[in-house]
Amino acid sequence: MGNTLLIAKKEMGSLLHEKTLVLAIIIQLLIASFSSLLVIGLASFFDPGALSRYDMEKANVGIVGGGELIQFIEKSNVKPVYYSELKHALDDFNNNRIDAVLVAPPADAGGNEIIELTLYLPKSDIKGTLVTLQLKKPLEEYEDFVRSLRAPRIRFEPVRLYVDGTPKKTSTYFEFIYGVLIPLLVFTPAFISGGLVIDMLTEEYERKTMDLLLVSPVSFSEILNGKMLTAVVIVPMQAFLWIALVSLNSIAVHNIGSILLLVSVTAVIIVLLGAIIAVKYKDRAISQYLYSLILIPLFLSVYLYANSPFNLVARLSADAAGTEELIFLGLYAALAVPIYIYAKRVQKQ
Amino acid sequence: MGILTISRWELRRTSLSFSRKTIAFSLLLIILTGFVSLYVSQNGFHINDGMYRVVVTDPALAAVLKTDYKFKVYIAQEEQANELYERGDFDIVVIGDKIRYHRSEKSSSALDALDKAVQKYDEARLLSYNDLNNTFPVWITVKNIEREQAFGPLSIQKLPEIEQASRATETAVPTETPIEVSVNDKSPAPSAREVTEAKGVLPGKEKTLATPSHFNPPVPFKSVVLSFIFIFPVFFIAQFFSASITQERVRRRGELLLASPVSPWQIVFGKLLPYLLLMLVLMGGITIYIGGNPWMLVILLPVALMFLSTAFLGAIISRSFKELTFILVFLSVTLSGYIFLPAMFTNIHVISIISPMTLVVRLLENEPVSIGEYIFSTLPFYLVSLLVLMFGIFIYREEDLFTQKTIKSKLLDSLQVFIERIPAPLFFLGMALIPLVYSAQLIFIVLMFNLPIRYGVVIFILLAAFMEELVKSVGIYTVFSRRMTGITTRNALKAGIYAGTGFFIGEKLILMAVIAGIANSVFGSVMGIGLLIFPFILHVTGTTVASLGMRYLGTGKYLASLMLATAVHSAYNLYLIRGVLFG
Repeated sequence: MGNTLLIAKKEMGSLLHEKTLVLAIIIQLLIASFSSLLVIGLASFFDPGALSRYDMEKANVGIVGGGELIQFIEKSNVKPVYYSELKHALDDFNNNRIDAVLVAPPADAGGNEIIELTLYLPKSDIKGTLVTLQLKKPLEEYEDFVRSLRAPRIRFEPVRLYVDGTPKKTSTYFEFIYGVLIPLLVFTPAFISGGLVIDMLTEEYERKTMDLLLVSPVSFSEILNGKMLTAVVIVPMQAFLWIALVSLNSIAVHNIGSILLLVSVTAVIIVLLGAIIAVKYKDRAISQYLYSLILIPLFLSVYLYANSPFNLVARLSADAAGTEELIFLGLYAALAVPIYIYAKRVQKQ
Repeated sequence: MGILTISRWELRRTSLSFSRKTIAFSLLLIILTGFVSLYVSQNGFHINDGMYRVVVTDPALAAVLKTDYKFKVYIAQEEQANELYERGDFDIVVIGDKIRYHRSEKSSSALDALDKAVQKYDEARLLSYNDLNNTFPVWITVKNIEREQAFGPLSIQKLPEIEQASRATETAVPTETPIEVSVNDKSPAPSAREVTEAKGVLPGKEKTLATPSHFNPPVPFKSVVLSFIFIFPVFFIAQFFSASITQERVRRRGELLLASPVSPWQIVFGKLLPYLLLMLVLMGGITIYIGGNPWMLVILLPVALMFLSTAFLGAIISRSFKELTFILVFLSVTLSGYIFLPAMFTNIHVISIISPMTLVVRLLENEPVSIGEYIFSTLPFYLVSLLVLMFGIFIYREEDLFTQKTIKSKLLDSLQVFIERIPAPLFFLGMALIPLVYSAQLIFIVLMFNLPIRYGVVIFILLAAFMEELVKSVGIYTVFSRRMTGITTRNALKAGIYAGTGFFIGEKLILMAVIAGIANSVFGSVMGIGLLIFPFILHVTGTTVASLGMRYLGTGKYLASLMLATAVHSAYNLYLIRGVLFG
């Protein structure tokens, strides 16, 4: 036991000395900021409500024709400019006087025909996106209006629910922060530690220092345990750092204890996998390659089922967890036992 | 040919390290990956499952909500439901058709999610009527027209100097890209479940309904995901390349090669060649598999070079396996971000062509790519890879390969070699490092899109100025800290003027060639368009400030001198775009 701790202390020292931990934290920060840029950016595109906190310039939209559509456009965020002919509208469009042209046929909302609108947008231009975002709401209202006239003909009854004083808030941010960002932040250290333990072990093999260590009074299993211990211990530490950072941004994270426990259990499993590979193959390039190959299906499966570790952390942190989550936490912990036994067998070979 | 011999050795060595066991195991893992992705593609992702707890009194509504996995639905009697609401354990309580919710973030999110779930359910039912004229009565066709682009970012004033530039308005040619319109008849009626799942969690799946509620900005999500496959061979093979270099360093086998008459650059290119070819072969295979255009390989070549050259430098400068792993992961994350984030905005903003992957996405979407765009997005990749290789090769020598020097001192070593070998080194060093500055600044642009535009511009200016000042003065720092000349005021002034002038001339030359593509974005103007005399004075002043700072504060306070120069530099740039910030 004493020797295990000695090895662990030595490894920790070299991690701190080489500033690898600092680099690890920067990597995680980059991953987090890339993914939030991606998800928030995309979500805003598919959910214009999410963008409403930015005050946007009103887009000038040329309208040709219109009919009943006009009343919805007038109420909306776009500034309509009316034209009698498409040609004039397109001329103004090409001279950057308006940002889009909407052509509506003189169809009757109560009629039978499909009303086909045509929208001209500037290509590869953020203005086009802006117009799309601003036109979505009036067009949807118009669609609802036409549908409300026509759907009764086929006896369609929409599901109707009523609510007082709706705070129209989008769920995008909430679901991204708890469902994606927090799980990603707390689990990335575990994935990194798996690679770390491979490096710690293969380095001893390739530098031939493993033989030197083995003639010392330290046993191989102590070396292995010491290195794995270091790789595992730093995981909940980093996870806690992220949770603290997230909390500073006034995002309440619940069940911190259970989350750290689950993260540690996952780290144990992943570090064991890394160690097994390293001991079996002894070559750094091959081991890292195989480990990365394992990571791909592992990453693909983080949202595979409702009780995956990522989803458990999502529910735990959002205070949506009950006993079911704790049972699964226990199951994952139990999963580590056979892997540990297997690792013991590999190391004896 | 020295290079080819080394390539052959390298190939044999790497293939030897692949035992039959390794190959079998990796095949197993690849098959497993295939199964998992098949399962995911059929069942979709489960994100936020069971996130919201809802109590309803109407069993019919419970059935509706159960189509969305986000909800844990409980059925209760009315009094009981009211009681449960008071206890606050549930995010939403629906009594009859009346919704009660709490004033918490989670509860209002649940309300929005509930709204979406009901809408989705209604839409699925409407579809099952198979009567589009009455159920989906409004359709939109989008026609995208090329036109001369005005200023990109939202609600920003035009810059005075660019405003004056008159632009010839081209006559627009309408290019039709209609959103797919499905045929009215013979669409089979799907069940509610099918529709909810089909539109699953992934945004941007193939749109078949071109109605207002399905009317979204053109994000080429599918093509971007498809293009992501290309990164795997690049990533893995770059890893093997760096591993081979490190292994030689660790086992000290490279010493023999260094003693041979083959020059370091021949060794390095010889080693690099098989990996590059392998990458191209694998990417070619992927291109054929996904039915892509052969030009994609030409676009991906500089990406492959970039990954290989940075992996090489990483392997040279790292002291241990751990350090190498982290440097490589750091580089791959940054590079992937730089490559893929802009690709998301392919059809949204011209600035997206800063990434070669955008061009790949465009080819995947069957859109043309011009030579000018190719040069604009790949030139930085070519130049930076060559530069990185060059600096790596400078320290591909015994004293750096087989010693435990720190990363910083190895980088300074390679700068020192540059300064020793090249005439007028300070003048050319600044110039040579410009591609690096340019790429770093483009990464900053990508990151700044994350922030509100005003803050983004200010922070970008600070970072860009810091980067430029760093590149200009790092040579002077090397000269002074390595005592290559006397540290006198005269030398400091001379060095400042040299480095500043070199950078200025290089910047103007390169920017003239490539800036045209994004010159009509505000960011572009910060990067160097303007009157010529002021930037010249600015660059020389900035560098001289840093250089004199080192003279008087000592090279130990390099960072402080650098900050001072950055302050001067960014003050000028901020003044230049004051109209944007305060107008």
